[in-house]
Amino acid sequence: MIEKALVGSRRYWGWVALLLVLMGIGFLFYLRQLSYGLGITGMSRDVSWGLYIAQFTFLVGVAASAVMLVLPYYLHNYKVFGRITILGEFLAVASVLMCLTFIIVDLGRPDRAFNVLLYPSPNSILFWDMIVLNGYLFLNILVGWTVLGAERKGVKPPKWVKPFIYISIPWAISIHTVTAFIYAGLPGRSFWLTAIMAPRFLSSAFASGPALLILACFILRKFTRFDPGREAIQTLAKIVTYAMAISIFFVLMELFTAFYSKVPEHVYHFKYLFVGLDGHTTLVPWWWAFMVLSVLSLILLFNPKTRNNDAILGVACAAVFISLWIEKGLGLVVTGFIPNPLDRVFEYSPTWPEVLITLGVWSMGFLVMTILYKVAVSVKEEGAGEAAH
Amino acid sequence: MGHSVVNYTLTMLSDLHRALKKPVRERHWVMVVDQRKCIGCNSCTVACRAENVVPPGVVYIIVMEEEVGTYPNVRRRFTTRPCMQCQNPPCTKVCPVHATWKRADGVTIVDYKQCIGCRYCMAACPYGARTFDFGDFYTKDTPEFQPYESTHSYEIGNKWARKGQRSPIHNVRKCHFCLHRVHKGMLPACVATCLGRALYFGDLNDPKSLVSRMAVHYKGYRLKEDLGTEPSVYYLS
Repeated sequence: MIEKALVGSRRYWGWVALLLVLMGIGFLFYLRQLSYGLGITGMSRDVSWGLYIAQFTFLVGVAASAVMLVLPYYLHNYKVFGRITILGEFLAVASVLMCLTFIIVDLGRPDRAFNVLLYPSPNSILFWDMIVLNGYLFLNILVGWTVLGAERKGVKPPKWVKPFIYISIPWAISIHTVTAFIYAGLPGRSFWLTAIMAPRFLSSAFASGPALLILACFILRKFTRFDPGREAIQTLAKIVTYAMAISIFFVLMELFTAFYSKVPEHVYHFKYLFVGLDGHTTLVPWWWAFMVLSVLSLILLFNPKTRNNDAILGVACAAVFISLWIEKGLGLVVTGFIPNPLDRVFEYSPTWPEVLITLGVWSMGFLVMTILYKVAVSVKEEGAGEAAH
Repeated sequence: MGHSVVNYTLTMLSDLHRALKKPVRERHWVMVVDQRKCIGCNSCTVACRAENVVPPGVVYIIVMEEEVGTYPNVRRRFTTRPCMQCQNPPCTKVCPVHATWKRADGVTIVDYKQCIGCRYCMAACPYGARTFDFGDFYTKDTPEFQPYESTHSYEIGNKWARKGQRSPIHNVRKCHFCLHRVHKGMLPACVATCLGRALYFGDLNDPKSLVSRMAVHYKGYRLKEDLGTEPSVYYLS
């Protein structure tokens, strides 16, 4: 089936070429990072995780969102999702690949990455995260590819694949729960030490992932003969709406606990986001952008008139994706380190090489997504063509 | 205590020799920091840098300075912070490759041959006691690179020279109570150098040791005790 990714329009190849160029630039800067060390990034002894781990955290959520298609389709027999379930699974594949790459890119000694397998440490949440992420990658490749292959032949998917589909549902929950546990179990990092970390992660995941899927569906509908179907998109939009609302509700819960209790170590981190601390305000504009975009997206999503309008729905989904990227892919990780455990404020901003490497990994993920979507859409176009005859 | 003239250094050295005769398991190395005597000179930080040949950005012991009170009743308070060598360390269990652990004598160390540099332990430490070796040198971009920056250190019984990509570069590093000195019968570099005699080192399992007597007599407190980490550094104020 992969040969279908090798034929395409000029626009397709132009997009692939652009991604390859960005990947190449990122790779060149990664080679520089390998020779120079992580000193090339903006990370420091105070903010010891930056853009890389933040992207990893955000993308685990995007990956987990496949379950929002798989669950209604396979558990509730919601047929409308049948046509796009594969898109969710392939989005998960691309996202998990990005997650794993971001972890490798963040290692000081990537040459020793296999120590994780050679010296397994069940006490470490990172060890479990590696297991669930690789397992989820395997499940989605297996299920996605097998079901698509059956569809191409015009037969039902083989029976043996069903158990893997059912396993993938709780597995999706596990990847984001375990990722939340990386943060939520650390004493002395009060910004992360909260029991609703995993619920927060899951709710934002189920908003950001489906939002990206809706945007992908719009693009596919415009440039290919594949139509995901209006009802599928509208159902996804409702999922985004409620997941986003719950996600923002959870953030407000955190704000109440911090600001009503006035416990300094809980207040400081949020204060840093809202107004800055000791004159340090790097993240303040980002945080306000998150709030404006999230409120805007909720208004557009809850109002049926605007939600039913595809153009406005696209804007709302972009607002959801960007705002949650700010919240998870920027704010959550970095702010946990500010102020530091000694109550001093040392800020972080990524360096250019760091940004370009990050962009390179994203391009790699989009390339994988493009290739997989090309295959899926070609198979579906064929099927639609034959049905018409 | 405190009334008679005591040579603290000799007392600590004889305590140390007594402890070294015991099996490792029966020792519990602790530090006592007398904040009333610290003059904020940062000698401990400097001595540690020289002893462990640590680069920019890596630090094992710092002196934190705070202003307490309001004018005219104001004073400066110094809090010297090595690794707390917690008896219940949050940093070791998060390591995905068994590269850091608490020894039987209570000191938490890093295995530079094993560490993958993921820095999870840095996020887990509530005291900011761990730092990452980003591969910097003080004289890197100066006309002449100074070779002393690549001389050997003897952390945890091994010889380490910072060159090229070799460990400990790109590893997480931390205070190890100068075990390489202690095992040779010497005090940690910071304690040996302390001008105001604000730092003390010894075996808490020995009730007769100077550190045991001081921690009990002056009701030593520990940092962030509410986190349940059971630090091995006691403060007197």
